[in-house]
Amino acid sequence: MEDQFTTVDSSKLNVVLRMQPGSSAAEIRLGPRQSFTAEGGAMIAMSPNVHMMTTTHKKNSGGVMKGLKRMLGGESFFLNHYSTGHEGGTVWIGAVHAGDMMVKELNGEGIIVQGGSYVASSPDIEVDMSWQGFKSLVSKESLFWLAIKGRGTVVVNSFGAIYPIQVNGEYIVDTGHIVAFEESLNFSLTKAGKSWINSFLGGEGLVCKFKGHGTVWVQSHNTTSFGSILGPKLKPRK
Amino acid sequence: METLDKKGFDFRIDCKPDYGFLTVNIPSGKKLKVEAAAMASMDTNLEMKTKFRGGFSRFLGGESIFINEFTAQNGSADIQIAPACPGDVEHIYLENQTIYLQNTAFLASADSINVESKWQGFMKGFFSGESFFLIKCSGVGDLWFNSYGGIIPIDVEDGYVIDTGHIVAFTDGLTYEISRVGGYKSLFFSGEGLVCRFSGQGRVWIQTRKITPFLTWINPFRRVKSSN
Repeated sequence: MEDQFTTVDSSKLNVVLRMQPGSSAAEIRLGPRQSFTAEGGAMIAMSPNVHMMTTTHKKNSGGVMKGLKRMLGGESFFLNHYSTGHEGGTVWIGAVHAGDMMVKELNGEGIIVQGGSYVASSPDIEVDMSWQGFKSLVSKESLFWLAIKGRGTVVVNSFGAIYPIQVNGEYIVDTGHIVAFEESLNFSLTKAGKSWINSFLGGEGLVCKFKGHGTVWVQSHNTTSFGSILGPKLKPRK
Repeated sequence: METLDKKGFDFRIDCKPDYGFLTVNIPSGKKLKVEAAAMASMDTNLEMKTKFRGGFSRFLGGESIFINEFTAQNGSADIQIAPACPGDVEHIYLENQTIYLQNTAFLASADSINVESKWQGFMKGFFSGESFFLIKCSGVGDLWFNSYGGIIPIDVEDGYVIDTGHIVAFTDGLTYEISRVGGYKSLFFSGEGLVCRFSGQGRVWIQTRKITPFLTWINPFRRVKSSN
């Protein structure tokens, strides 16, 4: 294992993706006094000298009460901030589902990421949870979306493989298959078939129609479909 | 068959790291210990015997209390061994070493390896959220273990922090304690809860996935029991 810490540009993260594509994990190597943010619960392991702090939203905002409210509201999205002192360190970040990860460098532009796909980001990247673009979307998992913007590194994950689609004009993606897309794209929620009845009988329901120029990152599998197969086979909950 | 390790039995691990699957060639007259129900296919000259191992404590630990022993008779024999979970399979040749495995990580070993369950202490077991028991493997010979997700080895020199549910195995020279990570706010909201702090020198094998978040995720998909 090579052990070089690139501290020249601390706004970027040194990320090595391991065990791709099915069991992917991110090995994030930090130089001295470097930090990053990751989804709560995603840490597998870390060097003993790495410090971890939890916030309910962005760094230095949101108290315990705010966190409790979010918890009671059924939301469980918390961010952990990892930082190093005068020594560097390593943090390993994993995911819930079998699937891949992707590292994306941002230079000021924004991307919209499906909440469950967010893994980690460097400190100058803003993670905004109030994005309401798909407000009308109903789903068992209550999908939420993050608006991510700034300069630095973002890591996202997928259920199954990730494939990019260059939209040039129009393209349709099932909402459950969206990992992330560039903010420059216009989108509208629509039906997949000619009529609503066709769309729901076809199992597609709501799809997203993208317009303009930009990239959509799509995942090969859909967690809601997988859950719908497993759920009925399990003992009912009370 | 391709030989990966000359010291022990000939073996091959296919479909790493997502669907690790083990094939071992057992020499004539030799014996292999295999986790109960893990045998997928085998030559007809293998004789299987079920042994009760680890006693009542292992039974309480939720680990299957039976290990099957396969003996090759009148010539060598192949056996294919599949872990219960989709995940990785790793091999280590123990030379008078001791290795501790997470409760469900034992897959197979040479007959010369002593396999026993070890009470990890009430506090450690309770707070780790995993099992009260670890599997202690010691002696000289092959050992294969499995995980949920990929297995990554980490060499520990001056300590390491590992989420309790991600530990697959660790060597004898390491000691650990359960502690919280971050402040009290982190204890409730970080999703990390409690971690294992390893100290000493040795090697820890971690897995890239964990069962409990998957179970938490599947829960909303279960049907709701009607009240009448």
